[in-house]
Amino acid sequence: MPNTINARLAKIICLCLLYTPAQAAEVTIHKIEASGLLTWTAKDDGFSVELIQLNPDFVRAVYGKRDFPADEVERIADYCVFGTIIQNTSQQQLSYRVADWRYIEKGGKSNPVKTKAQWLAEWRNAGITFAWTLLPESGDFGIGDWQQGFTTIKIDRNETFDFIYTWTLDGVKHEGKIPNMSCAPAPLNQPQ
Amino acid sequence: MPFKFISMFLCCLLLFPAQAAERQQPKLGHHLTPQSEAMHAPDFTLEDIDARKYSLNDYRGKVIMLNFWATWCPPCRRELPSMERLHQKLKSSDFVVLALDQMEDSDQIFTFTGDIGIDLTFPILFDRDSSVARAYGVMGLPTTYLIDKKGNVRFRAIGGREFDHPEVEKQILQLLQE
Repeated sequence: MPNTINARLAKIICLCLLYTPAQAAEVTIHKIEASGLLTWTAKDDGFSVELIQLNPDFVRAVYGKRDFPADEVERIADYCVFGTIIQNTSQQQLSYRVADWRYIEKGGKSNPVKTKAQWLAEWRNAGITFAWTLLPESGDFGIGDWQQGFTTIKIDRNETFDFIYTWTLDGVKHEGKIPNMSCAPAPLNQPQ
Repeated sequence: MPFKFISMFLCCLLLFPAQAAERQQPKLGHHLTPQSEAMHAPDFTLEDIDARKYSLNDYRGKVIMLNFWATWCPPCRRELPSMERLHQKLKSSDFVVLALDQMEDSDQIFTFTGDIGIDLTFPILFDRDSSVARAYGVMGLPTTYLIDKKGNVRFRAIGGREFDHPEVEKQILQLLQE
């Protein structure tokens, strides 16, 4: 029995060594003067994430142009949508999985970020196959690889939240955090 | 028709929007990732804007740059001029560029090529249902593969690149010499 406990302890310690919890990344916030929308850029060791607020009308325009059914356009416009750019800034291969990303509400509730695969599974019922706009749910990035697409978060538009993202570099899973993010405001003539 | 063109042009400005355009996009690098696992490039037959059919197998014995892109995709738009310059430089060799547009139509391509300000002289093919992109495991746009003369995928780039960089040209020349 003690041997079993020791083995379990060793396993837990190994897992802890292969995981680095949320670090204070270098986060910069930029306000786009013309629109007042915000952009958060987090630069970690080997990985960078940029999240750009997108207002609901912009999201409606993107999907409306793609002939999405009106109810599906409204459904995604109701999410808090960010243009997202992720980049491998290391000199090695790295990987990421959006399914591991989450956002934490002010009350402490942790929620998973909806993935492209989850959207596609729902859209398939409506006959929609176009999903190139969404950030791929996972990726193996070589040196210099980068990707962009939408990230969708279901939260009240007036709430702030912390965004937690992860990536795996050299077998070690890293975690970064962007605190106090917020959604793009809804247009004034729409309920907030 | 003019309204359609205008709406297409507006959509070309999207993703990301003009409101985000003042933000600097990542610098285009030139690193291509060697593919450690051998993957034979899946064959396909697709049409260009004039409904002329192109099959990958027709280019066996040549080095192929296979680019997956769309007109609304900003990094795709940024990297295309460098692809054209590379094509111009190497067109007398056994090197070809094939650009596979994803889920768009000839009107969108016509508007885009008029808007970009340079002539794209390599074939632009319509992967209308993205079935070829799926066969290659493309997750996002742009993604580019370099295929050797035997039809094996040898290099990959996810995200925009400067394809006429000397390092890229060197890799292509090495593949041409094999």
